[in-house]
This record gives sequence, C-alpha cells and structure tokens, in this order.
Amino acid sequence: MRSPRDLALRARGLLPDQHSFRSPLHAQRPAAYLGMALGVTFSICFVTGVVSHLHQNPVSWLDLPARPAGLYRVSQGLHITTGIASIPLLLGKLWVVYPQFWARPVVSGVASAVERLSIIPLVAGGVFLLFTGVVNIAYWYDPMVFFFPTAHFHAAWITIGALVVHIAAKLPITRQVLGGRPLPDEPEPVHDGLGRRGFLLTVGAASATLVLATVGQTFGPLKRLAVLSPRRPDTGPQGYPVNKAASQAGLDEETLRDPGFRVAVDGDVENPMELTLDELRAMPQHEVVLPIACVEGWSFEARWRGVRVRDVVAMAGGRDGAEATVESIQRVGRYRTSPLNPGQLDDPDTLLAFELDGEELHIDHGYPVRLISPNRPGVQQTKWVNKIVVA
Amino acid sequence: MSASEVERPAGAEETWSRLFWPAVVVGWVVIAIGIRGVLIDAADTLPGRWLVLFLGSAVIHDLLLAPVVVLLGIGVAKARPAWARPYLQGALICTGTVVLFAYPFVRGFGRQANNPSILPLDYAEGLVIVLVVVWVAAIGLALVHRWRMTRTTGA
Repeated sequence: MRSPRDLALRARGLLPDQHSFRSPLHAQRPAAYLGMALGVTFSICFVTGVVSHLHQNPVSWLDLPARPAGLYRVSQGLHITTGIASIPLLLGKLWVVYPQFWARPVVSGVASAVERLSIIPLVAGGVFLLFTGVVNIAYWYDPMVFFFPTAHFHAAWITIGALVVHIAAKLPITRQVLGGRPLPDEPEPVHDGLGRRGFLLTVGAASATLVLATVGQTFGPLKRLAVLSPRRPDTGPQGYPVNKAASQAGLDEETLRDPGFRVAVDGDVENPMELTLDELRAMPQHEVVLPIACVEGWSFEARWRGVRVRDVVAMAGGRDGAEATVESIQRVGRYRTSPLNPGQLDDPDTLLAFELDGEELHIDHGYPVRLISPNRPGVQQTKWVNKIVVA
Repeated sequence: MSASEVERPAGAEETWSRLFWPAVVVGWVVIAIGIRGVLIDAADTLPGRWLVLFLGSAVIHDLLLAPVVVLLGIGVAKARPAWARPYLQGALICTGTVVLFAYPFVRGFGRQANNPSILPLDYAEGLVIVLVVVWVAAIGLALVHRWRMTRTTGA
C-alpha cells in the first residue's frame, strides 16, 4: 500500500512544471517588453485614477484647480482608454510567463520567496482592476456586490505596491533587454508558428483594436469607429448622453416643472434666500462652452447658459473665498450633492445653467437648473439643483 | 528547453538589483495602504466579498482561462498549412481578447429602459464588424506572406 507521501509525489508528477510548456513564446524578451508596456499603462491608470478619486473625495490640503477646463476630460479619458489598452497587454504578459505559475522549486531563497509572494497581489490586482473596470463601464453591476469606485481604488494601491516590487525584481533582466544584450533563452529556436516579434505585434494590434473600437466615446473624430463603446457622444436627450435620467433619480415631471421650484442659498451667508427661477433668470446670464466628462470615460462638449454661482453667492452675502455644497432635489443617491472649492466657486465659468446649446435643459440633463463647472467629473455636475450651502 | 524566467545557466546565481529590498519595503507599505483602505471602507468594499473577487481573479485566470488558452494553443500549433499558422494564431489572439471585452456589451446586462443613452449600440453587430476586420487583415497578411514565399522560391 502506498504511503500518503508516495501519493503526494505521484500527484505532483502529474502536474505540469516550467518545462512542460514548449512554446518558444514563453520567453524573457517578450515578457520584458510587455512588462514595460504594462508598467507605463498601469502607472497612467493609477495617477489618473488618484486624480479622479481626489475630485470625488476632496481633501482639505489640496484644492483641485478649476483650470484647465478640459483637464478632467483628458485625464479620465486617458484612464479608461489606457485601461482598455491594458487588457491584451496583461493577458499576453500573463500567458508568456504562465510557466512560472507552475515553476519548481517554488522558491529558491528569501528574495525569491518575497518576489513570488508579491506576484499574488500583482496578478490578482491586475485582473481585478481590468475586470471591474470593464464591467463598470458596461453598467453590469451584478458581479460587483461592493461599491465599485472604493473597491477599485484600494485595489489599485495594492496592485501598484506589488508592481513596485516586481519592477525592482525584474530590473536586471530589463537592463539586459534595454541594453540589447542576448538573453539565455535566445536566439529563438526555429519554428513555423507565431514568432516572438509577431506575438508582440499581435498583442499591440489587439490593444489598438480595442482602443479604436471604444475611444470615440470621448474623442469625437473617431466616434464612427466606436462600435463597441458603451456610449456615443451624440446619443441621448438633446443629442447628448446622460448618466442618470430623472426617472432613475426618482424624479418626475410634476416635481421638476412645479412653478414653485426654488433654489435656496444658505449656510455662511448674510442673507439666506430662496430664489425663484424667474429671479435667477433676471440675473446676468453667461454662456460657456464646457465638457461633461463622465468617470466612465465618455465625454462631450456643449454650450451652456445660466447664472454664475459666484454671483448668486455674492447676492446672498457670501464672503470672498467661500466654498459651497451644491445640492440636488433628488432625495437619495451618493452624488446628490457636490462640493465647490473656493477656486471652483469663484470661476467665471461655474454656472447654474438653464440652457444647453440654446435650448431649455431636458429634464434628464437637469431641468430646471443644473451645475456646470470646469475641470470636474460629470457626477459632480449636480442636476436638478435646489440648494447651495455656503461655507 | 522551456524559456522560463527562473531558469538560468547551471551554476549561475540569481541576480537581484540593489533596489530590490528597498522596493520590497516601499511596495509592501503601499500594499498595506490599499489593504487598510479596504478594511476602513468596509461598508463600501465588503472585505470578504471583495477578497473573493480579488483572489478569484487570479484563480480564474491561472486555473481556468490560461489552461484553456494553452490547450487551444496546442491544437492550433498543429494547424495546416504551416505558412498560415502564425496568422491564424494572431487572429485567434485578437478574437479572444475582443470577445472577452465585448461580452458584457453584447449581452447587454447594463441596459436600462429609462436611459437609452446607456449602451445605445447593437454590440453584436459591432463585434462582428471588428472580427471581420481582424480576420480580413489576418488573411490578407497571410496571402501576402504566401505570395512573397512563392515568388522567392520561384526566383
């Protein structure tokens, strides 16, 4: 009768190891090139992701600037596009190094043990971030029981930490590759399948394909190619997409078209007041061209007309350098309010807008009045505004 | 011989950058920041469920997706004619990644009746268009390669 140890050894013999994988594509140079590309794309995603997080979760020690007006549009468009481009890069990289998953001995020293341990959060985090990112822009929330932005954000720190360790572990090989020196597994053996160079070109082509099929949701000139993009910048009420329709926010026409609709201004002001829509329209009106740039990566630019928030706050007797919270009539929802820091509040383009491209706002765009402000995520361009609390 | 990264010529020592251990400290501090965030924001992240999907991402890749790709690769490596094989492999890699990405769009899980600006397109049609472009390009490149091969052989 066999001992448990014999059985364990026998079972182990049935498992593959690093020698079981015969493809010449499991090689150091393609791994290094794909790794470098992912180092760049994940770094871009991390930095732009932190920027987006700071917009949505402002910190006291950093007032984000209101200018340049289109900065968030660019940074979040870059976040989503770079994330999408990373999908083939990550899958390609994981496939090239897949024999490592089965490598024996499992570790060959303390440094090797730490390196392999750090691979777990790197692989898990990389796949998790791209998967949750895609299902989020596809509005497919079932696989995510948690609140996506928070879960995605913290996972990004874990992944980037693991990436720091991995980059340092791979510095010697990266130097060899960048120095053009031949590697131990080179030259590539002669074979008639896809070669290492062809594989890298293919992965690059797959990335380019996904980008071209989606980037038109934020980059207008390519919108005709955007056959797989979750949004079209020209599709929706008044020809523009919306993140949340009035009915999704629990609002109906009756509430929004109530002649008694008022916008209250209170908080740290000398004369708290409630302004009717006619009173707001009687104030100096301004027209601005500003983008709505959604956290999901789509965006459009439009003409908005309305009254400056700073004029409204000044009329109520708010002090210079004030900040404010803009509130929506919608009763629930994480984004029913949004903060304006002093720079954003004072910006001449920060409006309570009544019109979009010369027409009264559609209720899904925030009728009767909405916030529009430069360099901010779309979720903070509060719709159906009925209160400004000055601080 | 496999080209795995742990293999090196007999007797060669593993080489580690001087930056490795400092990077381990920095990296794991950053990882700890992330873990702390998951725990502090537990009401949003649901740490238990979060962990299942986080580690599950690696498990599903390493024990399901990758083995399937390896098995498919073994089959494709025998495809004939040999001159067309690299282009077949390239087209299949592109097809696989595009299908994976497009799946939730094609299925339309996120469609919302009261907001038609969400997922406004026919994504099945979009997927077919992309795949036709990929395969036409692959077949075109394969035929050019074949034509060049024939010309060289004939010369």
